[in-house]
Amino acid sequence: MANYRCPCCRKITSDTMDLARHFLGQTDRKHKDWLKTKGLSYAQLIRWQGTEFGNKGYKALAELLEKEAPRVE
Amino acid sequence: MSEYSVIGKPIKNVDGVAKVTGEAVYAFDMTLPNMLYGKLLRSPHPHAKIISIDTTEAQKLPGVKAIITGKDTPGGKWGLWRRYPELCDQTALATEKVRYIGEPVAAVAATSIDIAERALDLIQVEYEPLPAVFDPLEAIKDDAPLVHEDFENNINATRHIEWGNVDEAFKAADYIREDRFTLSSQHHAPMEVHNALASYDKGTGRLTVWASTQSPYFLQLGLADALKMREGDIRVIKPHVGGGFGGKNSTMPESVNAALLSKKTGRPVKIVYNREEEFIATEHRTAMNLAIKIGLKKDGTILAKEVKIITDGGAYTGLGATTLYLAGTFITFPYKTPNYRYDGFRTYTNTMWSSSMRGFGAVSTVYAAETQLDRAAHDLGIDPLEIRRRNAMTPGYEAPGQYKVESCGILECIDKMKERVKEKWPKLEKDEGIGFATFAYMSGGIFNWIDTPYAFSGAMVKVNIDGTVDLFTQASDIGQGSNTVAAMICAEVLGIDVEDIRLHLGDTAITLTDLGAWGSRETLMNGNAIKAAAEEVKKKLISVARMKLGENIVYDLVVKNKRIYLELRPERGFSYYDIVRDAIKENDGEPLIGIGHYTPHNKGMISPAYGMGIQAVRAKVDRETGHIELRDVIVVHDCGQTINPLGARGQVEGSTQMGLGFGLCEEILMDNGLIINPSFVDYKLIRFRDMPPIELIDVPTYDPEGPFGAKEAAEATASPGAAALANAVYHAVGAEFDTNVLRPEKVLKAIREKEKKDRAGK
Repeated sequence: MANYRCPCCRKITSDTMDLARHFLGQTDRKHKDWLKTKGLSYAQLIRWQGTEFGNKGYKALAELLEKEAPRVE
Repeated sequence: MSEYSVIGKPIKNVDGVAKVTGEAVYAFDMTLPNMLYGKLLRSPHPHAKIISIDTTEAQKLPGVKAIITGKDTPGGKWGLWRRYPELCDQTALATEKVRYIGEPVAAVAATSIDIAERALDLIQVEYEPLPAVFDPLEAIKDDAPLVHEDFENNINATRHIEWGNVDEAFKAADYIREDRFTLSSQHHAPMEVHNALASYDKGTGRLTVWASTQSPYFLQLGLADALKMREGDIRVIKPHVGGGFGGKNSTMPESVNAALLSKKTGRPVKIVYNREEEFIATEHRTAMNLAIKIGLKKDGTILAKEVKIITDGGAYTGLGATTLYLAGTFITFPYKTPNYRYDGFRTYTNTMWSSSMRGFGAVSTVYAAETQLDRAAHDLGIDPLEIRRRNAMTPGYEAPGQYKVESCGILECIDKMKERVKEKWPKLEKDEGIGFATFAYMSGGIFNWIDTPYAFSGAMVKVNIDGTVDLFTQASDIGQGSNTVAAMICAEVLGIDVEDIRLHLGDTAITLTDLGAWGSRETLMNGNAIKAAAEEVKKKLISVARMKLGENIVYDLVVKNKRIYLELRPERGFSYYDIVRDAIKENDGEPLIGIGHYTPHNKGMISPAYGMGIQAVRAKVDRETGHIELRDVIVVHDCGQTINPLGARGQVEGSTQMGLGFGLCEEILMDNGLIINPSFVDYKLIRFRDMPPIELIDVPTYDPEGPFGAKEAAEATASPGAAALANAVYHAVGAEFDTNVLRPEKVLKAIREKEKKDRAGK
């Protein structure tokens, strides 16, 4: 089964939601800059996740990671 | 008859006489020969660049012995989250910029407080004010000013907790409710303000600090990091402490600057905050924005819960990141929650930072969860106690990957409450209401953010030739009575009286490491260490007694009431004192010493055990003025096996009062980062005369992890007061609130809104 690798570090997981949770938990510039290059704002994702119900922030990020995160065996 | 001789008996505080006669010495009282007085110059700006600091005029003032600014410090940063160096963000004195009003920028040592204060006035600081941010929701915006340049969007810490399938569970729910709350900060208001006395010995390069602290070990580590010294070269001594309530866990600038000034002058230096400094420049309870969604079945069974919290962290970390974690945990207690999701974010803002305060993480979240559950019960037509009963945790309940609750008396607590309320308050007056709220809290945390390689608690017991005992412990009694509990546990194991035990306390040079008094950890964690140390000695005594008796090894011996005897033939045995003498003499004069340690293992992520219960508040509301009269309180409490019922009662009363203060009147008010009520005139602290009688009902359980079955006692009772009060007001006049601190104008406004709604409904 293919796993997903975080585009900014060595985190590997089978689930893009899990990868999104990891991603938003990182406060370093590398992760945030990557988001910017993909047209997403870290602040917006945090705002959604921290104020809206239903995992809105993670879902938006997981969707992006599904397309962009490298697959590893 | 109880199986215990000491445990469970109401024992007067071992420090009580010294305290009430004024003989007890606090760091505040201490002086040393040749001592200097230190004062701190504080920033008037919430956020500003420091362009220059000119101390020339101040240096000339007779009596001024030293002045230091940020450039004179070794530049060490420190914090409690030592596992994460980026969260160690505190400094002795601001260097490049200030981040909150009250941040120290210079420190003076002089021959008197007056001279030190006059010197502060002569120091010229040029600032360049920077845009500041005070609201956590503003702080995370992309264009918000950065409090710390390395933390984009001012996110200091994040936490996500999830179990079950939350989205599916909400789909299956018959009733869903969403509520949003804004919960305010609260000041610890200890009687003894922050203060420290530091004495640096230039000859040995060693430092001794006497301080009003909740953890000598944390302070030792903080000082080592700040001063770039070896831990072993720093000795921290904690005399009596006049209250902490969570506000004295962090190493604060007074200790570090007293040490720096002592190093510079070669003389002891003492820094004592005045009451205004205590308000503006020490930590406080974490304010937060909280959103909570709950999904229930028609019968009131909880199916799912989703919680969002953004906290106002202030300028530095302290224990604020822990608050974030605990908030996400204790908002689920003490209910079975099969599906749960939590997202918490702590933001940096340009205010004095928030951290731990009695019941931290639980007080604000219990307010939200328990007022919401009450509204849900009302909507579903279910009795408020019944909905709590239906969802109550049972022994062995587990939240996947998070926590396991072993002993759990919440069902019995609710049942006892139901019975007692019916009996005690059969009828209510007009505009009078009863509100309930449950509570739970940890018995010490299973977190090692401090990154200690030591056991979480350690203790040493030495038995003298006359049978008296010297007990060495670093457990921090900050007024909560842990010294008495420590002596009681030791006395019970050795079968002697509390009066036979002499305590040697809170000195990093002579006591084994203990993480200190936070999160109700001393009874369970330090208690286990003391019990293990005393049992090591007891084993040696039994071995000597067995030899003397010459009995078969299958016969068990008991150490009780100053005798060591056969359990089945109590008349066959010896005096404890004789055996102690024999044990020492027959072992080549080797002293009888026992050492014990405790670190929790295999107990989940949060705590080894949980205290819990339910509180009821009866209150009357004046519809014309909005004034709330607190009339009566009942607390039903499961703290496992109570070690000292007298101490536990005192703690429940104090904790309940603090919780009701959070609900009724206590609030730190800010205007653009300036605390506008920094005195006991303007900060409305709840007083004894505001308090109704508190009836305490104990529901005994036995926790397998606790010493003699004990666990957290009383800190949890800080949590329910505000919620129970709001629920009482709701049941009295129908007024609903999305904030705590029910000041009369707020109550009146809510009553008018309710009346308006009712009229529109008609």
